[in-house]
Amino acid sequence: MDNSSYHVHPLVRGRNESFGLLFYNTRDTLLTFVRCGDLLRIGPAAGGICTVEVHCRKEAERARVRRALRGLAQKGLIVETGASV
Amino acid sequence: MRQELLYRTRLKAPVNVTWEVTGQCNLHCRHCLSADITGPPEGDLGFDECRALLDALKQMEVFQVNFGGGEPFMREDFLDLLRCAHERGITTCVSTNGTLLTDAVVRKLREMDLLYLQVSLDGATAHTNDLMRGPGTHGRVLEAVKLLHRHRMAHVSINTVVTKANFHEIGSLYALGKGLGTKTRFSRFRPSGNGKKAWDELRLDGPQLAELSRFLSGHPDIVTGDSFFSITAFDRRDLGLNMCGAARMTCAVLPDGCVYPCAFLHDGRFLAGNARTGSLQAIWDSAPVFELLRNTRVDACASCRRFSLCHGGCPAVAYFLTEALDRPDPECVASFRTAPQKACAAGRVHQSQ
Repeated sequence: MDNSSYHVHPLVRGRNESFGLLFYNTRDTLLTFVRCGDLLRIGPAAGGICTVEVHCRKEAERARVRRALRGLAQKGLIVETGASV
Repeated sequence: MRQELLYRTRLKAPVNVTWEVTGQCNLHCRHCLSADITGPPEGDLGFDECRALLDALKQMEVFQVNFGGGEPFMREDFLDLLRCAHERGITTCVSTNGTLLTDAVVRKLREMDLLYLQVSLDGATAHTNDLMRGPGTHGRVLEAVKLLHRHRMAHVSINTVVTKANFHEIGSLYALGKGLGTKTRFSRFRPSGNGKKAWDELRLDGPQLAELSRFLSGHPDIVTGDSFFSITAFDRRDLGLNMCGAARMTCAVLPDGCVYPCAFLHDGRFLAGNARTGSLQAIWDSAPVFELLRNTRVDACASCRRFSLCHGGCPAVAYFLTEALDRPDPECVASFRTAPQKACAAGRVHQSQ
């Protein structure tokens, strides 16, 4: 899980906000607010895919981010793409 | 959490923008909320201007555009506008009276995955609907909805502005939507456009609002996507108004490009700028009237247990009725819940089977 990387689901839009991330699901138009500060950021689109970047500095932050990523993946807002470098 | 975040934080851009793309309409509804802006198309943004605005919305990362009017399908280039929005990844929600939805149009709409359609219907019976929307419209709208269903359009809802004239049919409207295979959406009647003139005649009274609140509580699949009753089933356990999104989550663009905090605050006092001549991002960031809305505090509601959810309700209704933005929404359901027996007896709802 630690090494997993994620991208935003193609049917989902996401953007960076001062409080963290804001997702919009085109399948039902519902919003999801993620209060994570700058620990998670959505990177610029490349080939139509937006990656979710992780910027953790402490172990406690990593645990929090892991929970958040797991929850977002369960909701279908982000997709696990494999091990990160 | 969502309401608190929105209350305390400024989003970098709207989540959705209501865009009244034309003032033209082929109907003349008694309660039309946009009657103030209806008229000839000469001042409407041209196609190139619309495309430039869509580029700006994409740049701002706006997720959704709610197209309305007037009747948006009165614009000959409306299907092209929808395509332009979708090409930019923007979801569209179109509010239409349904009367211009021909087979050829629906075949094109069917190809659009990012499209949501709301078709207006203001009565379960022709008598009730046609009194509001004009003779023959009930039958034409039902034909349009059936056509959409035949083409397997995924995201279609029947939208009803709930008024005193159709309140007795809300159960039947819900059943009708079920029968037609669409979602049912109830919208709030507001003192905007013709709604100002018909306000006293058509607004729900307290018992009716309380009864409607109970009805929605029992039918969580009914959509109420504005600052009406709470949006989610969870919120409906504790019914009441939802937080206003004007200048926080949304703003409105009129046919001529004028920008307002929401589609119900067209008063000149609330003009924030013009997207034809200026940057929508700059308007969002710094228009004084947007700051006014964001900084408005309804202190009289601060001690209410629901304050964290609604923050006072709809300022457009409060402004119309009290000439102040910082007053409690006069239609707050909480104020009617102290006499449930009386409310229930006065506003009973019948649902057809």
